[in-house]
Amino acid sequence: MQPIKYVDALGEYYGSMGHPPYRWTINETAPLHRLSKSLSECTVSLLTSGGVSQCSMPAFNPDARNDHRLDAIDRDISATDFQVHDSYYDHSDADADINCIFPIDRLRELAANGEIGAVANRFWSGFMGRIYNRSKITDETGPAFADALMEDRVDILVAAPS
Amino acid sequence: MGLVSRLLEERGIATVCVATGRDLINLVKAPRALFVNHPMGNNFGAQGDSAMQTDILRTALAMIVNTEVGGELKDYPTNWAKPFQFAPGGARKPDQQSEGFAVKAQQR
Repeated sequence: MQPIKYVDALGEYYGSMGHPPYRWTINETAPLHRLSKSLSECTVSLLTSGGVSQCSMPAFNPDARNDHRLDAIDRDISATDFQVHDSYYDHSDADADINCIFPIDRLRELAANGEIGAVANRFWSGFMGRIYNRSKITDETGPAFADALMEDRVDILVAAPS
Repeated sequence: MGLVSRLLEERGIATVCVATGRDLINLVKAPRALFVNHPMGNNFGAQGDSAMQTDILRTALAMIVNTEVGGELKDYPTNWAKPFQFAPGGARKPDQQSEGFAVKAQQR
């Protein structure tokens, strides 16, 4: 099956909701940080943008726009202690098994068998998308997130946009 | 999220995006991206399919080691069992539960 053309589909969807046309960020090149150690020595964290929150926390706004909320989630959390609120995709599978979008159990298994060095102290959920004020990411929330990851001595972040 | 990844790389944190939107992740040019042709919300596979969840996670982590040039986009070899579309509107109703699953395709 051919990949879905989300740029077109989302443009139509945003328009139908009365939002202004979304201006996608277009880059021709990308920075790359290469690690000088093996995976088995690395501390790894996860980030989801799928409207995932702990059951004890407020739900994400499923129709959010310009929502810069970012939740830190303890690395020992149970995979059943989540709720998903996002109206932009079908999350029924993730409701039943959070590892579909946020593979916390799988990452902990890789740490247990030594394929990675460690799971970071915190997992992350936020940057839900439909963010029109992108300079806030580059100037505020992004750098603050980098600081938090560095505080946890994170070498690698696996990010799963939804 | 590609934007965040780019910023983190510049701060010395290696990143990989596991994405279900090929055109989206390609536009922003994430430093490393693994495209998985599954419905949005099934980036790592179907519910309960821990073998595929692990395999996709391992494949993404391997890109951390193997990628030499920023902006690499790799396709994970997979076939979702049923055709799917962009599906806004949140979760399905209980009588519309997915029976979706994926089969890893032959490596090309």
